[in-house]
Amino acid sequence: MSILTSASLLRDPEDRRRFIEKCAKISFGLSILPFFTGIAEAAEQAGAVAAPNAGLPGFGKAKRVIFLELQGGMSHIDTFDPKTGDNKGPGKAISAKGDYQLTEYLPSIAKIGDKITVVRNMTAKVGVHASASYLMRTGFEQRGTLQHPTLGAWAQHFLGASHKTLPSSVAVNRSANHGNGWFPASFSPLPIQNPEDGLLDTKSPVTTEVAAKRAGLLAQLDSGFGGKAADENVKAYNEFYDTTFQLMKSTDLKAFDLASEPAEVRARYGKSKFGQGCLLARRLIENGVRFVEVANGGWDMHATLGDRMETLGGDFDRVFATLIQDLDSKGLLDTTLVAVTTEFGRKPDFSGGGRGHHPLVFSTVLAGGGVKRGFVNGASDAKGYAPDGDGVSPGSLHATIAHAAGLPVQTDIITPAGRPMQVGNKAKPAMGVFI
Amino acid sequence: MKSYPCRLVLSVFLLALCPLDGLAAVPAKKADKNDGPTVKAAAPVAKPVQAVSDKTQIWHTWTDTEGRKVEALFCGLSGDYITMQTKDGRTYHFATSLLIPEDVEFAKSCLTKNRDASFSPAIIASAAADIDRMVGAILAENGQQPNAPATDAQFLRRIYVDAVGRVPTAKEADTFLKNPAPDKRAKLIDDLVFSPGYSMQMFNWMADLLRVKDTFGKGVPAFTFEDWLKMRLAADAPWDKLVYEMLTADGRLCDNGATGFMLFDAEMPLDGVSNLMTTFLGTNMACAQCHDHPLAEWKQRDFYQMAAFFGATSGKDTAILGAVNKAAKDGGLPKAAVKKIADMNAFRMEDTSKQKLTFPKDYKYKDAKPSSPVSPALIAWEKEDKSLPIYNVATKDPTQLRIQFSRWLTSPQNPRFATNIANRIWKKAFGVAVLEPVNDIDDLKLASSPELLAHLTFVMKAAKFDLREVQRVIYNSKTFQASASPTPDLGKAKYLFPGPVVRRFTAEEAWDSLIVNALGTYADNVLLRRGDDLKAMALPAGKVTLAEVKNAVERTKAAFAGSANGKAAGGKKGAGGSTLGLANGYEGDKPVTRFNMMLARASELPQPSPETHFLRVWGQGDRLLADSATNDGSVPQLLQMINGSVSKMIADTRSAAVMDAAKEKVPDAQIRSLYLSYLSRPPTAKELATANKSLKDGIGLTDLAWVLANTREFLFVQ
Repeated sequence: MSILTSASLLRDPEDRRRFIEKCAKISFGLSILPFFTGIAEAAEQAGAVAAPNAGLPGFGKAKRVIFLELQGGMSHIDTFDPKTGDNKGPGKAISAKGDYQLTEYLPSIAKIGDKITVVRNMTAKVGVHASASYLMRTGFEQRGTLQHPTLGAWAQHFLGASHKTLPSSVAVNRSANHGNGWFPASFSPLPIQNPEDGLLDTKSPVTTEVAAKRAGLLAQLDSGFGGKAADENVKAYNEFYDTTFQLMKSTDLKAFDLASEPAEVRARYGKSKFGQGCLLARRLIENGVRFVEVANGGWDMHATLGDRMETLGGDFDRVFATLIQDLDSKGLLDTTLVAVTTEFGRKPDFSGGGRGHHPLVFSTVLAGGGVKRGFVNGASDAKGYAPDGDGVSPGSLHATIAHAAGLPVQTDIITPAGRPMQVGNKAKPAMGVFI
Repeated sequence: MKSYPCRLVLSVFLLALCPLDGLAAVPAKKADKNDGPTVKAAAPVAKPVQAVSDKTQIWHTWTDTEGRKVEALFCGLSGDYITMQTKDGRTYHFATSLLIPEDVEFAKSCLTKNRDASFSPAIIASAAADIDRMVGAILAENGQQPNAPATDAQFLRRIYVDAVGRVPTAKEADTFLKNPAPDKRAKLIDDLVFSPGYSMQMFNWMADLLRVKDTFGKGVPAFTFEDWLKMRLAADAPWDKLVYEMLTADGRLCDNGATGFMLFDAEMPLDGVSNLMTTFLGTNMACAQCHDHPLAEWKQRDFYQMAAFFGATSGKDTAILGAVNKAAKDGGLPKAAVKKIADMNAFRMEDTSKQKLTFPKDYKYKDAKPSSPVSPALIAWEKEDKSLPIYNVATKDPTQLRIQFSRWLTSPQNPRFATNIANRIWKKAFGVAVLEPVNDIDDLKLASSPELLAHLTFVMKAAKFDLREVQRVIYNSKTFQASASPTPDLGKAKYLFPGPVVRRFTAEEAWDSLIVNALGTYADNVLLRRGDDLKAMALPAGKVTLAEVKNAVERTKAAFAGSANGKAAGGKKGAGGSTLGLANGYEGDKPVTRFNMMLARASELPQPSPETHFLRVWGQGDRLLADSATNDGSVPQLLQMINGSVSKMIADTRSAAVMDAAKEKVPDAQIRSLYLSYLSRPPTAKELATANKSLKDGIGLTDLAWVLANTREFLFVQ
């Protein structure tokens, strides 16, 4: 069984359609016959929407996306956007490859600075953790009446499932938290709470002999109801069972198994949950998963910012630089977009050993997948208080990643409740970041 | 458009039940919170048959065999357990063996009284026959036939799952299947809807609809809301009262669990209004929140005028929040502990003397000025609606606006309130609603049978919103007792109900069915209650002082430490599917722990369960939105069934189903017992032969249990 999806298979519309239908039935969780036409049509439309942005620079270059979430709000001034004068933080500025400055807390990233784009003019209005985290994860402000999908779910809607048996989206070190939005529940990312554990329950708790006898008897005894079922949902479960038994024997499962990675590589990514999570993300996208989120908590630095930038910041520095280098050396960086996102920036005023919440301007990073290497997009003002000129909203960042992933931006889809919605909430992509 | 021959052919008998509720109620003169919704009909013309009489609450002093006494409300009697509620709202199941015989007799007589106060068998039969006649007519008109009647075994399994949320045990199945009585189905329906499992099942269903969640906002614990809902269900609260109580509830969660529903949206009050309209009226006004609805009639102004009824209501007291935080900061108290106390005291429902809602500053229509104050006004679906007496609401006194709105909302005269819940209850039984989708029923003509929907609405009103009564009617219909149809494609044609639809278990039904097979009916007697600890977080009325905040921190620490010694095993770290931290939150019977899982029914576990728990993997909703449960399939579901802890619980020698089977002397009887446990039917001759052969070939009863639990037949209700 081929692990990577053949590109030619997806180029031919007929084959692609068949592939999508097949995936729809047996992937990790696509909907079993939806009750409502709204959803049915959404599935039907997969891959059928014309993209007005097709052909523009960067379109469709990113075949996969790794979406890193620094929870709590990364201080832009103490990382990717150093300042001088009163607002300078405890760390001094250093030069990065690619001719721009970072703080001394990011020495490894400075060495791969010529492979990434720093977006210094991010801007938003939300300064409350949960709401800001929601906004950055979905590109929409949080509402009480509906849930918005992640980019992984949007991609699954427009492009179909990314692999025959593996899930199209995975959430590492975090919960799935309704990531499907209004799309079928099966578009929700598969949550992996601990990268070391990988996918749970893949091995039988009984001996091979007993397991085989059980499976044999199951096949015989299920021939009545399951075997003769006219019901689509029952048939779908027949296929889920077949797929699951196949998967248990299949090499696809290796994608989740960090133990198959050489010890030297595991060491390079470091022992932290974030490090191992990023390594798992690399394995997953290599094997056909399209969208992987990896969360990293602890960035809410109201106090002891200097110390925590050295520990938490230091870990992030090593892990992110390793991930970029690893992807690049495997030739995957040009087709994989890695995004470093966070909830908001932190206040220019340094007080009480740290900084407060500051959404008005902050930084994110994009790398690979058609994005410029060694580039700084936009700037904040001298104090690091507001964008200098236009800002990039979280919606716009989503539109940018969506564009890179080959999704139609600024194009309505209709939710099952009959509401028109666009990936990135009508915002335009930041086209300046693309090669 | 076809015309229907059976246009409102209701039995005269039923018609006599509630002739006036929908039309002639007198508007309340002076609103007063304590008397609940005024839904009493005006003096009836002729003396009609009493509908469901208001059930009298039976208080009694109960004595156990050791002479100890407790005063408690009788709630139900099922098998060997009496359910009762003490004055503080705690619910208990008492084994009959623990009580003196006189009290057991007394409970039996109460049960009879309760049932007598319900719809009589004649009324049930008549209303059920009306359903069958209407469905029959529309089927005939479209050249379709009703499905063949379900077999006893099919009926047995479906009624257990629908009414008590789990499959029957082998013993329960055997008793029913062997019973030759011709009225055994009606009798079983009554036994089940009056048993404790019924409340658990209804809780699961409502928790999904009402977004019952352990925490809301930024992690404020909301256990009291769950406790309150369970208590009201056990005490048989009708739907209109339940909704009225939730919408008009005042105070903090630690004092009044009923506030949980409104507090969920305390920080987004407009979304809250939109949500409650969808949940209770089936009206989708979410679009109109920001602009005139592009497809429906609703204008943005309509939405704002409705929302204005909540314009004087406040869900969060920022002054208290500030005062607590300041006191804590001054006194150097631990931030995390204080935050919870601050939130618990700041989030509270209160009505103020000023209605503050204004139109948005970018309001773009001519029918109102931007930023101008909004006058409360009720929406109507038809022009005539507004002439209904219930539309005559007083809007002068802002402190009464929420109450006025809630009276209108929960009135039988409301044009959608009864229909909405009737339609949802029908979907619960049949798998498909008469009018889909259930969250948009503005146009009643789009129902697959408008007459049927009108009839169900009528039954709902006649039952005075007692959902148990309505379900008794539905369960007794031939339509419900027909064999099931494959899942229809509603995109192609409306479903006309030749029978119910084959459906996968909900997550809760799957879990509860596995739990009853692991534990036996004992599982129905394990009750979780966690809200009491929240009372420790309450600050006394008046000025916030450091001393009081300090006291609350200490009290809270003590309460949580005392109630949850097992917390170390749970807490945040254990969120990966383990729920063991709950160990001491149970009252009555204690839960069993096996394979790192708490074996209690879904209603008695965290709401919702952690994401990797069986319940969530199988589609229990995350409760962020109403109706968020799903029945989609996925590989991780089956990995749990094939290899996970759940599979070990099934194939365990301690499993009740396995032990029941092992008690049998011969293999044939053992196999039969396991079939009854998992599939609620005896095996066919062929299955018996196959299973027998396997048992001789080194497969054990535990393996056979695993096999049967993994059949598609186990997962689906036919």
